[in-house]
Amino acid sequence: MGDYLEKVKRAVTDLDLDAIAPLVRDALDSGEDPNAILQSMCAGMVGVGELFESGEYFLADLVLAGEGMKEGLEVLEPRLQAGSMGVKGAVVLCTVKGDVHDIGKNLVGTMLSSTGYEVIDLGTDVPEDKVVEAVRANNAVAVGLSVLLTPMVESIGAVVRALEAAGLRDQIKIAIGGACTTDELARRMGVDAVGRDAVEAVRIFDGFVGA
Amino acid sequence: MSASHERVRAALELREPDRVPTFDLMNEFSTDIEILGKKPSPLGPLIANPRVSDLLDKVLPHVNTAFVLDKVLEQLTNLGAEAAVRMGYDSVWLPYFPVLRLADSRTITDIFGRVNDFAMDEKGNMGNPIYRTGLITSPSAWDAWDKKPIFRLPEKVNRVFGRIQKSFGERLFIFGFCNYGIFESIWQPMGFERFVISIRKERSLIDRMVRFYTDLFCVLLEAEADAGIPGAIYTDDLCYRSGPMLNPKMIEELFGDSYRRITETAHSLGLKIVIHSCGNTESLLERFADWGFDAVHPLEPTAGMELSRAKELVGDRMCLIGNIDVSHILVDASREEVFEAVRRAIHDAGPGGGYILGPDHSHPAISVERLRWMVEAGREYGRYPLSV
Repeated sequence: MGDYLEKVKRAVTDLDLDAIAPLVRDALDSGEDPNAILQSMCAGMVGVGELFESGEYFLADLVLAGEGMKEGLEVLEPRLQAGSMGVKGAVVLCTVKGDVHDIGKNLVGTMLSSTGYEVIDLGTDVPEDKVVEAVRANNAVAVGLSVLLTPMVESIGAVVRALEAAGLRDQIKIAIGGACTTDELARRMGVDAVGRDAVEAVRIFDGFVGA
Repeated sequence: MSASHERVRAALELREPDRVPTFDLMNEFSTDIEILGKKPSPLGPLIANPRVSDLLDKVLPHVNTAFVLDKVLEQLTNLGAEAAVRMGYDSVWLPYFPVLRLADSRTITDIFGRVNDFAMDEKGNMGNPIYRTGLITSPSAWDAWDKKPIFRLPEKVNRVFGRIQKSFGERLFIFGFCNYGIFESIWQPMGFERFVISIRKERSLIDRMVRFYTDLFCVLLEAEADAGIPGAIYTDDLCYRSGPMLNPKMIEELFGDSYRRITETAHSLGLKIVIHSCGNTESLLERFADWGFDAVHPLEPTAGMELSRAKELVGDRMCLIGNIDVSHILVDASREEVFEAVRRAIHDAGPGGGYILGPDHSHPAISVERLRWMVEAGREYGRYPLSV
């Protein structure tokens, strides 16, 4: 039985897209616990993250890994018990108002949902009041803001101020990422962290929730 | 040959010119009009008016916008060249990009299948369109795509660059820009996720598109060379802030032959060709040189690119262009900071020739005053033999 779990994990890490969903199906048919299969897939994603950090994998490989996870979860999800996913808490993600770039944000979402977070993805060009609304509605533990374009960086400050005004800032951590983000910008905007890529984002959010 | 031409050509050929040449990177409209002292005509407030935008939404899809838009774009190209002359630049990255179509009051598509948003700066001035998504969602969508406007592109480019070269070519070394590179031309109309998955699952589609855009780029180079333009920009953002978006081996496999063909075509026509790729390109610099590019831009400092490292890696094979920061230095830095950034850039990349001074990007918040300081500092520190 355990052999399937290792195969699922390896297929995710090796980006073997054709194999992931059939292996998950075989694992279920052989009686593996769906939660154990999910954990194997997540362990495979951790392997992807390690290969990315060591320079063997690239941005496109994270996309492929995300696609593999999606295909595997389509098979697995109907068999999972409620609450199996998103155990680390809800995270609200968006690309800030005025900016429509979403590759980085989508990858962060894939990595976070693959490592135990419930991801509330609000999309692109999102005004600050929508972020506040989503944080409140989902009892989110953290917010991730993506921005590529320098002229749009002030939208980060707008989210911070809106969360303050709503009385939510003290209970929530905020991370930013994207081409124009720097430590200096993070300080100036009053956010808690800046991430360089989707793999670092997982470390940052794990640090936020003490995972 | 004018002093500017000789200066730029020497730098591109890795010889020491009389001084480090300067490079103007296709400014935003608002920057050009400020340089030229023209009155801005902000469209933002107009489009924000619901009555006007409702009217535009109804009318624009039904009118032939190509004729009007192409004329407007030619005027913007002229404006860019005029502004570059006014600033005293030696060279300019000059776009003529007659590929845009107005879809509605907020959306601008292009003939390749990209969907862009209108960009306005805080004063309501029009900015460069911002890519949002793509329309080529399947192999059949690519087959069905109307390519006739694409086939007309070389003729338009030839005609307009001919006029531009005649008006400004003596004073400026013009790097023409009329289409994005192959990687961007394929992934943007598909969306990045779909593109990556297609490499695995629909490889023949990707290979067909690579061939199509390689052929197109080579014909566009012919059109530019025939117009008398001395240089071309090949822009393909292969990287993001921490490295390549694809495995470099995959980049080589998908695009290597195309890049070699493009540089060989350019050189056979007497054109210099610059590769522009945003992000941290350090791990690709040697490939850029292997592929035959004469120069590389922008060497983006916010992505961790250092001129000294680039010089060490490829300085004996390629000219380096740019690296002056647009997140702080050319936005709100002091005069001393701007001068120091230029001095350091020339110190790191200038020895022996092979460096052209310029910004790493353009955006509406760039300060014209700081661009002037950059040019001034280039003249102060850039004279050969260098003493920085």
